[in-house]
Amino acid sequence: MLEWFAPQRITWLHRANPAWKGLLMFLVMLVLFFSRDLAFIVVIACWYGGFLFVFSGFARRKLLLLCLPFALTFLSSSLTLALFGKGEHVLWQWGIVKISEESVRSGLIIGMKSLAIGLVSLVLLLTTRPVLLFYALMQQFRFPARFAYSFLAALRLVPIVIEEWQTRTHALKVRGIAFSKGVKGVYERLKLYSVPLFAQSIRRAQRMAVAMEAKQFRMNQPRTYYYETSYSKIDAYLTAYVCGSLLVALLMPEPFR
Amino acid sequence: MAMANGRSGEVSAHDADICVGVEHLRLKFPGEPDIFFHHLTLHIPKGQKVLILGPSGSGKSTLLQVLSGLIPHSIEVPMRYSRIQWPASWGFVFQDPDTQFCMPCVDEELAFVLENQGVPRSEMESRMREALAQVGLSFDDLHIPIQSLSQGMKQRLALASVLLLKPEVVFLDEPSALLDPEGTEQIWASIKQSLHDRTVILVEHKINAIVNWIDRIVLLDEQGRLIADGHPDDVFRHHKAAFERYGIWYPAVWDEYLASSRWKAIRANRERSGLSAADCETVLELEQFEAYRGKPCKLRVDKASVNERSWIAVTGENGAGKSTLLLALAQLIPTAGTYILRGRVIPEQPKKRRVPEGVALVFQNPEMQVVADTLFDELALPLAKSGWKHDEMEGEVRRILQYFHLPLEPGRHPYDLSLGQKRRLSVATAMAEQASVLLLDEPTFGQDARNTFAILEYLEQLRHDGKTIVMVTHDRRVVEHFATEEWVIENGRLKEIRKI
Repeated sequence: MLEWFAPQRITWLHRANPAWKGLLMFLVMLVLFFSRDLAFIVVIACWYGGFLFVFSGFARRKLLLLCLPFALTFLSSSLTLALFGKGEHVLWQWGIVKISEESVRSGLIIGMKSLAIGLVSLVLLLTTRPVLLFYALMQQFRFPARFAYSFLAALRLVPIVIEEWQTRTHALKVRGIAFSKGVKGVYERLKLYSVPLFAQSIRRAQRMAVAMEAKQFRMNQPRTYYYETSYSKIDAYLTAYVCGSLLVALLMPEPFR
Repeated sequence: MAMANGRSGEVSAHDADICVGVEHLRLKFPGEPDIFFHHLTLHIPKGQKVLILGPSGSGKSTLLQVLSGLIPHSIEVPMRYSRIQWPASWGFVFQDPDTQFCMPCVDEELAFVLENQGVPRSEMESRMREALAQVGLSFDDLHIPIQSLSQGMKQRLALASVLLLKPEVVFLDEPSALLDPEGTEQIWASIKQSLHDRTVILVEHKINAIVNWIDRIVLLDEQGRLIADGHPDDVFRHHKAAFERYGIWYPAVWDEYLASSRWKAIRANRERSGLSAADCETVLELEQFEAYRGKPCKLRVDKASVNERSWIAVTGENGAGKSTLLLALAQLIPTAGTYILRGRVIPEQPKKRRVPEGVALVFQNPEMQVVADTLFDELALPLAKSGWKHDEMEGEVRRILQYFHLPLEPGRHPYDLSLGQKRRLSVATAMAEQASVLLLDEPTFGQDARNTFAILEYLEQLRHDGKTIVMVTHDRRVVEHFATEEWVIENGRLKEIRKI
């Protein structure tokens, strides 16, 4: 499973400082989130889509597969808004379906927004190892070590919890538990799954924390780093690239708006 | 107490060589009415190898945590003592290989230990390789996922990270409890080799492998009181009654069990009822049987059959496919090929699989199988399915509780039980299903001697009453003495069927 997320080749994007890259991408996502300018959002989406396909170091097929969920969100959210949204200049109406110029526009804005944010987050996630991201956060951004290592430890628990979920599914089948249909069934499932899985996870997390302290991990201790992260020229390029993308998108000439 | 004081008096509190010690320890677990370790006093001199023994729930692991300082520094438990001496430097290997590491790769985990001590980056790799060599691990590239290691290798990695702490004292809390025989052998070889000149304080169930290596046994009772403290030979000789009473494993426990009247009764019973295959009905037949988890075939059985009243022990290395066999027989994973159960062909069910009638599976972790909030509901559920009326159920539930030696309090929550009781409860719920074929995943795993024999005797009783048992186990003694057949699984194939 994890090998699937290993890139085919390491590009300059992988070598950028992970924390700085994270900050830049976070800023772009923030701007996207508050923007109501369709042309701006479209340009950013194209820009980072291109970025992803050219520089991420992943095969095109994998990238298309990873983009699929975002494309689906685009379709569903823009369609819903376009068909049922409010608007004055009605283009077509049939029953509760009312398509207007405004609804088409806001549908496109919301759809493109989710697509663009998805692409930007993929650029970050696919070119950054979580371990390095936290090392850089600790070194460049003074992020407290206890939180960084807790996050990394929690990541280790994920596959264990998935396996346990499977075991619980099997065990419930063996015990002959049949769930009701509808909301009641959801409640029954929640109850029967959450109690044993939470009990196990809490115990496990506690044991892990004790094991970390047994390895002389202390709060606010001076520490050295196995992965020494720093800034390089690449970070300057990346910054320029991101600023450039925002500028071009903002200054898009009128006819394209 | 008097005797215990006399013995530990050999090592006086003022001895300069003492590196760990506590005097008049008392401790209280939240929610428990009783005080633990009534004024326990213990001094451990440099270089000694001390084994702490006691029944489950006697506070052995807690004592390790107190001596290391994990209690109270990392875990808060109210306690009192008149004097305590924590080791200047120490390391701790825990029981569960999957909760000792916080990083994804071998090098990163070892680096975490070195970073905590402020070791410069440039020295890290050589120190890592040195520590790994000491525990008998070698990798060309250290950057490999911990998940890809076997459980035994993970425990050796945990030991390597402890060595990086340059510890004066090493605490081991059942480091081999979750390992197969091969992994157990490896971890003890590594421990003996790398810790020979250090002080070692350990808790362990499987003591055969280490009894010659240790210098001193500290024996605790159910309340954490000191029963004995001295050289292993003396303790075994003078306190045999305590070992038997508390069901603690000791080297001769199997030999003594095999000489006991209980075992002789079982043998006689077996001979009388005649275990010959001829007059037993075939319960289960497999031919060209394959089990899948995802795409790849994980287990293949060319041809095998099981007779009524057999006790099949399924053996093999960790990850060979033993548990897969149980899941396949319970039809929880997709299978192909012929599977006949009591003359009925079980069809291949690619989707919406159902557990075949008459088959019950007991998982390794009994908590995973609990579905109700009280013992009564837990047992009433299978009874209701097999048509019991509500007013008759109460008596039957009590009968089952009694039969399986469970507390006769039908209102108790299953999670409140001890590990041994939980395990018996999971067998009890499976039996209440009226199943004729019982599949069990390591039912004696991590149990003390008393519970192990109790579970084995229950299973023997069930077998005698006409049930068929298919059980995964690592324990050679269980295979040799209780099973009627051994199925050896190797690399996802049933390699050998051996009549015993």
